[in-house]
Amino acid sequence: MAALILEIVIDVVSAALMLTGAGFVLAGAIGMLRLPDFYTRLHAAGVTDTLGAEMIVIGLMLQTGWSLDTVKLALLGLFVFLTSPTATHATANAAYKAGLKPVLTRFRPRGGDGEGGAS
Amino acid sequence: MNFDYTQIFDYALLLMMLAVGVAVIRLRNLFAVVMLTGVYSLLSAAWFVSLDALDVGFTEAAVGAGISTVLLLAAMLLTARECAPVKPGRHWAALVVTVAAGLALFYALPDMPEYGAVESPANSGVGMDYMMRTADDIQIPNVVTAVLGSYRGFDTMGEVFVVFAAGVGVALLLTLTGGRRREEDE
Amino acid sequence: MAPHLILRVVAKLLIPLILVFGFYVHFHAKYAPGGAFQAGVILAAAVILYALIFGVDAAKKAVPPWAVRVAMAMGAFIFAAVGFVSIAMGANFLDYTPFHPNEALARGQYIGIVVVEIGVLMTVTAVIIAIFYAFAGRSPEITEEEW
Repeated sequence: MAALILEIVIDVVSAALMLTGAGFVLAGAIGMLRLPDFYTRLHAAGVTDTLGAEMIVIGLMLQTGWSLDTVKLALLGLFVFLTSPTATHATANAAYKAGLKPVLTRFRPRGGDGEGGAS
Repeated sequence: MNFDYTQIFDYALLLMMLAVGVAVIRLRNLFAVVMLTGVYSLLSAAWFVSLDALDVGFTEAAVGAGISTVLLLAAMLLTARECAPVKPGRHWAALVVTVAAGLALFYALPDMPEYGAVESPANSGVGMDYMMRTADDIQIPNVVTAVLGSYRGFDTMGEVFVVFAAGVGVALLLTLTGGRRREEDE
Repeated sequence: MAPHLILRVVAKLLIPLILVFGFYVHFHAKYAPGGAFQAGVILAAAVILYALIFGVDAAKKAVPPWAVRVAMAMGAFIFAAVGFVSIAMGANFLDYTPFHPNEALARGQYIGIVVVEIGVLMTVTAVIIAIFYAFAGRSPEITEEEW
């Protein structure tokens, strides 16, 4: 009985983690399309993608139980955890060094597709 | 016919590959083209994995998305960033050839076996023979390695020599003088 | 602060892991998808990452071009030599059976594949590094500020 409850709990937790992660990835994708300039788009792609991918990996780790796959997923998570922020940092750094200035004025949607709010 | 819902992923990936391919043709900025080539390779690697062709997907991800993007970037740095604009109307012959080839492929499509069909040539003839024999002949669990390394070792040797020839060719063209050249540069 | 401090630290963490992963892909090909071609590309990617972060000259110190050229030829040589050795031992070209007396367990096949794959690994790694060196050696040098 206890094992069954544990199984259900693990299933629910991993499903919640994976769904939240997928939501973060979706938010990142929408941010990539909607945000006004390079740096904010990078923020959307980088930060949410790291968190989203990590949560999906952790959810999958809960699903595999204790096996070699868990270790492989943990390594995958470590790689993503290290590389994704670094890639974001390098891209932002390169853009800043190349002289790309962030947009600091108020964001207005371009004419025509003004159906969404600024936030 | 029972519909396999995982096929939706295959079609989605193929559509994305089509979009990326069209973008590669249309764009004139070489940097974007190189990056999209990498994206194309990554998408096709994901597609191969979705088709259970793990070895091919792995190779595509490592070689196509990884190394060739880096090499194309390095080669791009030697040339201009922008491609010269192409005059429209020049490529009617190419269009005709492409459309004809595409139509021929679609004409041949119904003759293809269904995905994963048991009686398809890949699953019944020589392929299945090697699947059965490897356990006795080579005694290696991974049939792909057994086939590549032993059964068709001669082909693999040819591949290695092709890679070697490519390396020698690039070395001859770009760094013929070996070490001396770099010291002159510095 | 040194330029690209974050990149340098992360690269130092990652490059050994990439190398280990490359060797894993190479030697685990008996059981899992992988093999010398993919492993060679991954090993070369580690060197290329090193060259991108620390500069091509530092990479050429770590993996000298002459070693790359030698490994390129040695790999292809090893593969072909295995074939000729099997001819000398009385079998067909690249038939690994006579390499080990235990034919029931196919140990000869095992030995042959391992040796041949090492040759493939050397050639593929070396060729990709050589191509990268050839291109990168001619690229206009990117200064620290331009990054």
